[in-house]
Amino acid sequence: MTEEDEAAFDEFLAARSTALLRTAILVCGASPHDAEDLVQNALEKVYRHWGRIRHDNPESYARRVVVNAAINVSRRRRVIQEITFARPPETAVDAPDVDLRDALLAELRRLPARMRAVLVLRYWEDLSENETATLMGCSAGTVKSQAARGLARIRERMGTLEGVRG
Amino acid sequence: MTLEQELSEAMGEHVADVRASSLMGTKIRRRHRGRRVRVRTAGAALVTVAVAGAVPSYLALTEGPRATVAGPAGTDSEARAGIAPPVEVPRAIKMTVAEARAVLEAAGLTASVEGETGEAGLVVEQTPHIGESVPRGSTVRLVAIDPARPAPSSTTDGPEERMTMPQDLGDLGDGRAFGGVRFGYLPDGLEWGKWSGKNGFGTTSYTTTWQRPGLPEGEYDVQAVVYRDGAVAQLKKRMKGYERQGAEPITIDGRTAYLVRAGEAASQLDENGTLTLVWTENRDVAVEVMMSPGYAGEFGDRAGTEMRKIAEGVEPTR
Repeated sequence: MTEEDEAAFDEFLAARSTALLRTAILVCGASPHDAEDLVQNALEKVYRHWGRIRHDNPESYARRVVVNAAINVSRRRRVIQEITFARPPETAVDAPDVDLRDALLAELRRLPARMRAVLVLRYWEDLSENETATLMGCSAGTVKSQAARGLARIRERMGTLEGVRG
Repeated sequence: MTLEQELSEAMGEHVADVRASSLMGTKIRRRHRGRRVRVRTAGAALVTVAVAGAVPSYLALTEGPRATVAGPAGTDSEARAGIAPPVEVPRAIKMTVAEARAVLEAAGLTASVEGETGEAGLVVEQTPHIGESVPRGSTVRLVAIDPARPAPSSTTDGPEERMTMPQDLGDLGDGRAFGGVRFGYLPDGLEWGKWSGKNGFGTTSYTTTWQRPGLPEGEYDVQAVVYRDGAVAQLKKRMKGYERQGAEPITIDGRTAYLVRAGEAASQLDENGTLTLVWTENRDVAVEVMMSPGYAGEFGDRAGTEMRKIAEGVEPTR
C-alpha cells in the first residue's frame, strides 16, 4: 500500500467506522466492546484489499463484510443463548415497566439473524429494498417478505406485552 | 407513529452514544500484520516497531464526546489527546532511523524505534502519516528495514502483489514433521500451509504453518519454528527477555516454557500481540509456536490450552 492508500484508509475510517460499528451492534446484538472486535476483524479484510477496492465503492464493500460478520457472530451467540437462557418462545419480555424502546430492541434481538439484519438495514440504515438485497445477496422480494415478517413478529409480541399494540 | 418509525428511533437511541475508537486504524493494521506469516526473524529483515500513542487524524474529525468504546490500548493516548496541542507529522519515510528520529524530535514527537536495524536502518513506513495532526509528544511508529537486504516477500500486500512462499524443505506431506520433530497434535481442521523456510530465524532453523482451508497465501493460523544448533541460543535469549519483562514461566511435560503475547518485534511482549509459546525441547532443540490473532480469537479463553496441547504433542524424530 502506498502512503496515499494508507491516508485514504484513515479518512475512510474517520467517515465510516462509527456508523459501521453501530450497524454491527444492532445486527449482532453484542456489546459495543464485542462489536468493535468484530468490526476490526471485518475491516482488516477491507484493509487487506484496500489498494484494489478504494476506488470502487469501499463503503458498500465494508458494510457487506461487517453485516455478514455480524450475522455469523449472532448465529453463534444465538446457539449459546438458547442453551443458557432458554425460555418459552411465546413468553414476551416480562417486567411491565420495561421501557417501550428497550422492549422493541429485545424483540428485535429475538429475531433470526438475517431477518434482524434486514430490519436494521431497511429502517436504521435507510437502505432501499434493492440496496438491501444486493448487500445481503438475495432478491428484493426476499427482503420485502423478511422485513414484513420481522415487523409482524415484533408487532405480535409487543401486542402480547402491552395488550393494546398491534 | 408506525412500528417502522418506532423501531428506527429505538435503534438510533440504542447506539447513539457509541463511537468507534480513535485507535481503530492502529488496531486494524496491527491485526493485519499479526496474520502474516513471519518468514524471517526481526532484524534480519523487516522490523515493525510497537506503537505507543499514534493518534489518527480523525480524532479531530470525530464530532461529539470522546470515543466511548476505546479499547484498553486507547486510554493513554486519548487522555493525552485531550491536553496536548497538536503538531503536524513530518515525513520520516526514506530516511535513516537516525535522521527520522531527529526530524520527529524537532517536531515535538517521539520516534519509537527498536529492533536490530540500528540507526542506519531505512524507514519504509510510518504511522501516523505525513501531514496528520497529532498531539505534541505523540509517538510515531516507524517500520525500518535493513537497507542492505530487500524486504521479505511476506510484507507485500494485496492480491496484485502475489507473494511466493519459500519451499526450502520441499514436500512435507502433512507438514507435521520437519526440523527433527513431529507435531502430533494440531487443532482440528488445520492443513499444511504448503511452504517451508530454512534459516530465516537463525542457523539452523526451520519453519512452516498450518491453516484452515482457503486462507490466502501468506497468512496462517498456526506457525511453528524449530531452532537447532546456534539458533537455539537466540530463542533462549528471547525467553530470558520475556522473563525480564514479567512473563511467568510455565511447565509443559517438565520443560520450562513461556506462553506470551509477543509484539511485532517478537522479543517484546504486547498485550494485543500474537499468542506465542516457546520452550526448549532439549539442549539442542527449541520450538516456537505462534497462533494468529484471528484464529486465537476463535478459541477465546481456550487458545492457551490449545497452544499447550500443541506443545505437549511435539516429539523428536531424530
